[in-house]
Amino acid sequence: MIEEVLERISSASINGIKKAELKKTFGKNCDNILQNLIEKEQIFVEKKGVAYFVWTRDNYILHLSQNDPKFKSVLNMVMGVSHSVAKVKQHTNSLDEAVTMISKQNLANPEGDFKVEFDRGLTESSTSIGWAPFSEIRKKICESKKISTENFYTMATNLVERQREKYEVSSGGQEGIIMRGLVHGYVRNV
Amino acid sequence: MYAYQLESNPYPSSPTPTEKDARILGGKRHKEAKSAILECIKELNNKVGGRDSNDGDFRVITLVQDVGSGKTHLALHIKNLQSRHNTVCTFLDLSTISPKTMPSLYNGIIKGFENDFFVQLRTKLVEYIRDRAERGDNSAKKVLDYSFMNKLSGMTIRQKADDILSGKALVSAENLKQFLVQWFNYHESNLIRNIITNSFDAVTNLEELLGMMAAISKLTHRFLNKIILYEIDEFDGNQDSIEFVKGIINAHLPASILLLISTPSGYAEIQGKNPSVFDRLEKANYKIDLAGSNSQDELLEIVLEYIKHNDKKGKFTQKTQDELDEKIRVLYDEFPEFRSVRSIINILYHAMEKSAELDLEKIDETAIDETIRHTYPGLKIRGSIMSVPISDFISIRRTCGDESTGEQLKRAIANLANFAHEMGNIGKLEKQNHTLDVVYQDPYGSKIGIAVVVNENHTKNFEEISNISKSSALVDKLVILTNSNIPSSESITIVNVDKSKMVDLLYFNNKYTDHKIAASDNEKAQMLAKTVNII
Repeated sequence: MIEEVLERISSASINGIKKAELKKTFGKNCDNILQNLIEKEQIFVEKKGVAYFVWTRDNYILHLSQNDPKFKSVLNMVMGVSHSVAKVKQHTNSLDEAVTMISKQNLANPEGDFKVEFDRGLTESSTSIGWAPFSEIRKKICESKKISTENFYTMATNLVERQREKYEVSSGGQEGIIMRGLVHGYVRNV
Repeated sequence: MYAYQLESNPYPSSPTPTEKDARILGGKRHKEAKSAILECIKELNNKVGGRDSNDGDFRVITLVQDVGSGKTHLALHIKNLQSRHNTVCTFLDLSTISPKTMPSLYNGIIKGFENDFFVQLRTKLVEYIRDRAERGDNSAKKVLDYSFMNKLSGMTIRQKADDILSGKALVSAENLKQFLVQWFNYHESNLIRNIITNSFDAVTNLEELLGMMAAISKLTHRFLNKIILYEIDEFDGNQDSIEFVKGIINAHLPASILLLISTPSGYAEIQGKNPSVFDRLEKANYKIDLAGSNSQDELLEIVLEYIKHNDKKGKFTQKTQDELDEKIRVLYDEFPEFRSVRSIINILYHAMEKSAELDLEKIDETAIDETIRHTYPGLKIRGSIMSVPISDFISIRRTCGDESTGEQLKRAIANLANFAHEMGNIGKLEKQNHTLDVVYQDPYGSKIGIAVVVNENHTKNFEEISNISKSSALVDKLVILTNSNIPSSESITIVNVDKSKMVDLLYFNNKYTDHKIAASDNEKAQMLAKTVNII
């Protein structure tokens, strides 16, 4: 019975339904049911002219937002705040994502991987005095990591430039990193 | 008067060092390399001391490092020390010999010795002949051309020998030849004859060249009790050089050390051209490691050593050292051009000259700026939008990273926004709030907020950015300038402020607050404003 009453009220959409009409349909017991639903804030009753009208909760808010200017402006303000809160949440989320991404990057650390591979190549290719030609390290890494020569030299340049105190380069050779306009084709650990 | 009240410029100006320049040796690594070479000299000296030398008394030292790292300087420095370490040294720069024929290489080796060396050896050899003559060796007397008439006239053998040494008399060349073959081998005989007559024969082949070198070593050890250090510079993949060096190594010159100086690329060339020589180099007795010879600290030590060495008045105090130190560090960090001993010394030579010209008490930013403009006219600060002069760059860059940098940048951004407003690029500026450093309207009426978050501690940056992001609701677009590497999000535009951008901003700010923004700066400043998303 309660469900039937609610369904009837809901079907009236934002216009609401007259209380008298409900009584006609559902009889005298309808009063108790309506009172029960009012207490549970599932429906709202308001006097319009001489008649009492009944709405479901959602329809009532829609009704107010369209017909009550005060409610309309309050709602707009609330929505604005809510929107701002959502925006802040969104920003915080994206920042969190960025931080997480950076952490993940640090964990995955492709540059760190390159350094490990580079150091291994350097050890394998160096002579007794420690120098190794870039070309030999490049061949090994490009083959194992499936990266292009350009990519290798970009990463090698970054590595050597970033860790200047750990690597030393020397001019000459057919290929290598370019510094001061010179091909530096040899590298060693310091 | 030069900076630091020096009476002369302490820095050498030649592109490659001279023996005189090499008297000063600075830098921890260079000094360690020097010690290693001296250790080898000492070890061989101890081994051959008090006995005849043989072919087991030969050492090979390799010195392989990049161009401009101070290898030649080190070799010449060691040469300067020869008298102190019971050594005779010859320096041969293979790059100065072309074609590399046997006579030209031999000539180069002979010229590489000090003149005094041959004078000493000649004296000892004449004294040797004199001693034999005094002991009754007639063939020795004939060498000295000591005749019966000399004896009758009261002249002693010693006086005759002294006359020969002083150039008043000559030896008998024919008798000398006959005397020498009795006591010395073919090459030793030839060499002694050459030394005593002051006339060196040309060698015609490698065998002869090596024979003569072995003779020099043997006689030097026997008569002067010294070992020979052969320094061979610019050794590379040249076929003639390789053959020459291979011959020397195989000849096992007695009581000798062969110091081979090369570059990594030269070393690799040798590896490719002659595996046999390469293998010998790989098995060198000593491999001098100049690793880190172009590192920042090493260059600083070398550079300061020149001034310290010449600072007779004690004007180069710790404070002035630190000031110069900071400037050189900036040059090293920002310009790859100045990351070698040769290039930084060149800069300081010119800066020192400039200091004398401008009567400066010390080498300041202006002297360095002027120097770089004249000696490296094409050199620009990498990535600089404002075309910051090198002098300003050095002074601003030195303070970048201070605790006050963040605040200075905030002021710079506020002034850049003011400038953009004055130029009509952006609308009205609004009052700052406690989180955003600049708030203004763009030409379309959108509210833009800019915050500067620059700290050395990146965790602190993340926290601050997180807090500032909460203010994004107050503006239509939020821009955060930071030195942390954070990607932009949908709602926040992150602008990475690297050191070159910091310098640009601080330089702009200095000019703006001093009302020195010229018309020619307008375009650059607008470009700078674009890079930080103000425009």
